Amino acid sequence: MENTDFNTNQQAETRNRIINAFIEHVLETGKPPVSVYKFAQSLGIPEEEFYSYFTSFQGVKGAVWDRIFDETYATMRAQEVYPSYSAKEKLLAFYYTWIEVLKKNRSYLLALYEGHADFKKVTPQEVRSFRLKFKNFAKGIIQEGKAEGEIVDRKYISDKYDEALWLETLFIFQFWLKDTSVSFEKTDVAIEKSVRLAFDLIGRTAVDSFVDLAKFLYQSK
Amino acid sequence: MSSSQPEQNHIPTSKVQRATKFIGTGAKVGGNYIKHYAKKMVNPSLSKEELHTSNAEDIYASLSELKGSALKVAQMMSMDKNILPRAYQDKFTMAQYSAPPLSYPLVVRTFQKSFGKAPEAMFDTFTTSAVNAASIGQVHKATKNGKTFAVKVQYPGVADSVTSDLRMVKPFAYRLLNMNEKEMDHYMEEVEEKLLEETDYKLEVKRSTEISQACSHIPHLNFPVYYPELSSERIITMDWLEGDHLKEWLETNPTQEARNQIGQALWDFYHHQVHNLRQVHADPHPGNFIVQDGVTLGVIDFGCVKEIPEDFYRGYFSLLKRNAHLNEAELDQIFFQLDFLSDLDSPEEQAYFKGVFKEMMLLLGQPFHTETFDFADDAYFNQIYALGDRVSRDKMFRNSRQARGSRHGLFVNRTYFGLYSLLNQLRAKINTTKPDWLK
Repeated sequence: MENTDFNTNQQAETRNRIINAFIEHVLETGKPPVSVYKFAQSLGIPEEEFYSYFTSFQGVKGAVWDRIFDETYATMRAQEVYPSYSAKEKLLAFYYTWIEVLKKNRSYLLALYEGHADFKKVTPQEVRSFRLKFKNFAKGIIQEGKAEGEIVDRKYISDKYDEALWLETLFIFQFWLKDTSVSFEKTDVAIEKSVRLAFDLIGRTAVDSFVDLAKFLYQSK
Repeated sequence: MSSSQPEQNHIPTSKVQRATKFIGTGAKVGGNYIKHYAKKMVNPSLSKEELHTSNAEDIYASLSELKGSALKVAQMMSMDKNILPRAYQDKFTMAQYSAPPLSYPLVVRTFQKSFGKAPEAMFDTFTTSAVNAASIGQVHKATKNGKTFAVKVQYPGVADSVTSDLRMVKPFAYRLLNMNEKEMDHYMEEVEEKLLEETDYKLEVKRSTEISQACSHIPHLNFPVYYPELSSERIITMDWLEGDHLKEWLETNPTQEARNQIGQALWDFYHHQVHNLRQVHADPHPGNFIVQDGVTLGVIDFGCVKEIPEDFYRGYFSLLKRNAHLNEAELDQIFFQLDFLSDLDSPEEQAYFKGVFKEMMLLLGQPFHTETFDFADDAYFNQIYALGDRVSRDKMFRNSRQARGSRHGLFVNRTYFGLYSLLNQLRAKINTTKPDWLK
């Protein structure tokens, strides 16, 4: 996404400045700025310029999530062993790298998301782009898993696997927010166990064999 | 280190699951009470003993499915009180955290947390799957510059689960052992301390290095070299020892001579630790030893090390002395000092327990009474079990709510119990050395 055009370069810079200033504001005060007007003022830009980058603070928050995903993805891909991982291991690697990146932003995330009763209701707007990116990644993994026989193709249901993995991602995030164990060891355990469960469910299970047998019996009647 | 623990799928791993397991047990125990009182209405002469037996069975059955620290506690408590029926003993010697293996990404993460590097960056090769399960971690094989290493990686969250496991097992242990809370806590502290120590891999490296250096002169004994710079709180790197596990080796029908040699190395190892170093590898589990070429015994796990305090040492071992020339007063003093007896006992209880402990120490001390001892002698072991059975069935013992035996005794007993049974499995004839003052 390199761009040599001076204008876009500067635009990207201003955009980054806005994001950084937003994060800093949350870190310093524990909450988002009161209004775009005040926020733009403190940045020394006119309010309307803010809107040429983001329509609201929601958008800025989304951009932070985006950054988190991009950093996670890049760090994960940089691992030597990554290409040799199975689908399950790739997902694990993603989560482990992800919470490492989250850790760097923990105070910011805690300030914004701690104590939300229903996390799912708060986030859709802010994490839309993160979610899309994650689901793309998940789809890739699922395809790979299907090709390798790690994941079973089930009519109708297997189309929803990426959605299920997204729910797991939300679960892990919430678990991590509340985790107080030393160096978030419990989150490690939660990731390990939940991913194992997920793959146990989407892999070949007794139910598949049962359906298979039932189908056979029905057809051979 | 070539045999691997089969992956077990049905062990309840999460706290909730384990708790449910306990609730299940609670329900069963409750059920036993109902059954008991129902039976009692029909047959008023029915004793409580029978109830205890069925309770114990259900509790054991559920504990043995639990693994983890809960199981270790059960194992140690019962060993100490000698109430463990023989059938269960086999189950309990398997005490291990049989958690499912860690995924490789989590291993990588553990490395990154400890060293900021991936395993591949630290070694030339590194197996992505575990080659063996250790008690609270798993072992990977690695190579670097032509050397082979065993790298032990701890399961995350184990240290946390120790405390919660113990909290869960407590109420059942009270019931099972018929002890009151205060008495029991005195043991529990010791157990918790040891279990937490086991999760501290840095300490393990330090102790392993110390003990292996201090024991390096013992013939036919071999220790891996430990690498502190490649170890952390969660990771231990040591030399890879080639060889067979004790059980596998025994299946190859080694000669009596070879078995004696291994047994003797084992005996000498413990002799030196107990009598000279006063700290001892308190986990003589067959999985912690391997037999190498040249009939040498390799010691590979120093997770549990018990330091033996001087006053406990004197008291405990003077009881093992042959025809201990101790008069009643001296004997009493030792019994009180070791917490075998307490001021709360009635004179009747004191007399009874003195008798029991004398008999027990005489029996356990037998290998110390002669120059050589043949551990293949099953009759001797049956005598021990019979005594345990007899005592545990005795009303007097059942009804005593006192914890008996010093907390230090817990691990020292466990050590000797383990050592004896290893030597029995080896069917070895041992030159039972002892320090001069015990002769």
